[in-house]
Amino acid sequence: MSALVLSSSLVLMLLLRQRIVIMLMLAAGFSYLVWGDGKLGYVVLDTWAAADQEVLLSIPLFILAGNIMSRGSIARRLIAIMREAMNPIPGGLAIATVLSCAFFAAISGSSTVTLIAVGSVMYPALIDAGYSKKFALGALCAAGTLGIIVPPSIPLILYGVMTETSIADLFKAGIGPAILLTSLFVIYSMAVNWSKERAPFNFSALIDALKNGIFALFMPVVILGGIYAGWFTATESAAVAVFYAVLVELLVHRDMTLAELKDTSLETATMMGSLFPLLMMALSINTFMAYEQIPAALVGWMTELVSDPVSFLLITMVLLLAVGCFMDIGSAILIISPLLMPLALSQGVDPVHFGVIMITNLEIGYLTPPLGLNLIVAMTAFKEDFWLIAKSVLPFLVLMIIGLLIVTFTPSLSLFLVK
Amino acid sequence: MEFARTFLKIVSKAERTITLLAFAVMTLVIIADVFSRKLTGVGIAGAPRIGVFAMIATAFVSFGLASDARRHLRPKFADTWFPEHWDGAITRIQELLTAAFCLVFAIVAVGVVRETYELGEATRMLRIPVWPMQAIIPLVFFVAAIRHSIFGLIPELRPVLEDAEGLDAIPSGASEDTEGEKA
Repeated sequence: MSALVLSSSLVLMLLLRQRIVIMLMLAAGFSYLVWGDGKLGYVVLDTWAAADQEVLLSIPLFILAGNIMSRGSIARRLIAIMREAMNPIPGGLAIATVLSCAFFAAISGSSTVTLIAVGSVMYPALIDAGYSKKFALGALCAAGTLGIIVPPSIPLILYGVMTETSIADLFKAGIGPAILLTSLFVIYSMAVNWSKERAPFNFSALIDALKNGIFALFMPVVILGGIYAGWFTATESAAVAVFYAVLVELLVHRDMTLAELKDTSLETATMMGSLFPLLMMALSINTFMAYEQIPAALVGWMTELVSDPVSFLLITMVLLLAVGCFMDIGSAILIISPLLMPLALSQGVDPVHFGVIMITNLEIGYLTPPLGLNLIVAMTAFKEDFWLIAKSVLPFLVLMIIGLLIVTFTPSLSLFLVK
Repeated sequence: MEFARTFLKIVSKAERTITLLAFAVMTLVIIADVFSRKLTGVGIAGAPRIGVFAMIATAFVSFGLASDARRHLRPKFADTWFPEHWDGAITRIQELLTAAFCLVFAIVAVGVVRETYELGEATRMLRIPVWPMQAIIPLVFFVAAIRHSIFGLIPELRPVLEDAEGLDAIPSGASEDTEGEKA
């Protein structure tokens, strides 16, 4: 009965266009009042305990580093390198688009920022070079999603925080799937554009582009290299990333002023204002569930229904694909990962591998109507029809699902750098 | 209405200043600590705790900035389920409901802070009382309750922006435009 009251209240809140943080507040308060000790104060205490964690420092720092690098001319510099390097290859411009997205994603850590930054340069370039509108839109929207699987990725950090999994390990585990998805996009781009005219290779132009963009290319090396070599923890690498980004943008590229740095910091803080209260409320509910042994009960119930890891992973895939259609990836991770994690553990799935599966799965949600964020962003940024964009991503969706299946059933692809 | 407008402006400005200061402290302290640890082998004592407290201050105070920039996430797929001419009334209810929840949270938080004060809880490492830091929670939620009440009672003062749908969507410079875009 109480569960029905809570569900109905949440539906009512949804109809009344309520914010997710308020819905989580309601869920947390209701849980403690009705199923817990009846003390609302625990919600506040859990919120405080959730915020009081050093590991969370990496989130604003990585977002700030990404925002600083995204404000300058990094995208243009990266694109110049990729274009010069890929010119002699069939479908070179298309491949340059995919690779620019992958590299820019490693810097910005955001899918929509990647889509806008690379797309604003590459979409007109692809159309001018005779690529079809449908291919150009599909390639940009799909490659733009790489932002959340290429480390450093905020969704990977959120998963790490919610499930107490090593963020450094998650970053390492994201590299293999990111390379796989990028390779699938590159091969497809090459295959469908094989007959396109190729430009001659210009070595001196490539060297010039490299000189201009070497600092941008070096950022992922600093972050991932530092973590992989064991020099930095996730938080330390985030601090180094901010320092590096400020240094490059203010002193080397000189594309940013101190006033712009202030604006970028404020913008990052505003994003924290929407993300952190959500995170804290979700962690509060998580604490309540752990205290009431709900995950354990869920595992018991699920093991009666699912007896092997393959069925569990397939069910999880379908569930997350459906969730990705209607829910933002951040909220989905905050709410669902603590529930699925114990189930994954009970089926013998590695927590790091499961994190990568979840993120890859939810990444597809960026391309699925009605709420595919990259579809909506592309519609606004490129002023194209929503359904044309939705149709344009279909071949890439198939590639991503193939990639997801490989990532899910080949744990070594994610874990080869971890173990 | 003018009083409410002025109040919102002052609150926004104060929030921006505090947020920027706290954010700068957090970033600089952590960077300094990491470099000190890597270069000299010794970190700055208490730096991670200061960083965490600055982060908490940033996160809570910027709750208001997110309200101003309409950046609190909201599922929008049910928006079209009601007739369009109900929009005004639903928006008022939405804001007043948010205000009510923030008010309840703030009142409960006051009790928690009082308990922490009475227990004399101190932080690890820094050994300073926790309650002044915790006091930011009721303060921020009281202000949020007032802000959203104003948005509900005087919808003209509600920021004219689209609600955010995903954490990833970062409208560049949105926070700068907010003030100018208020009706």
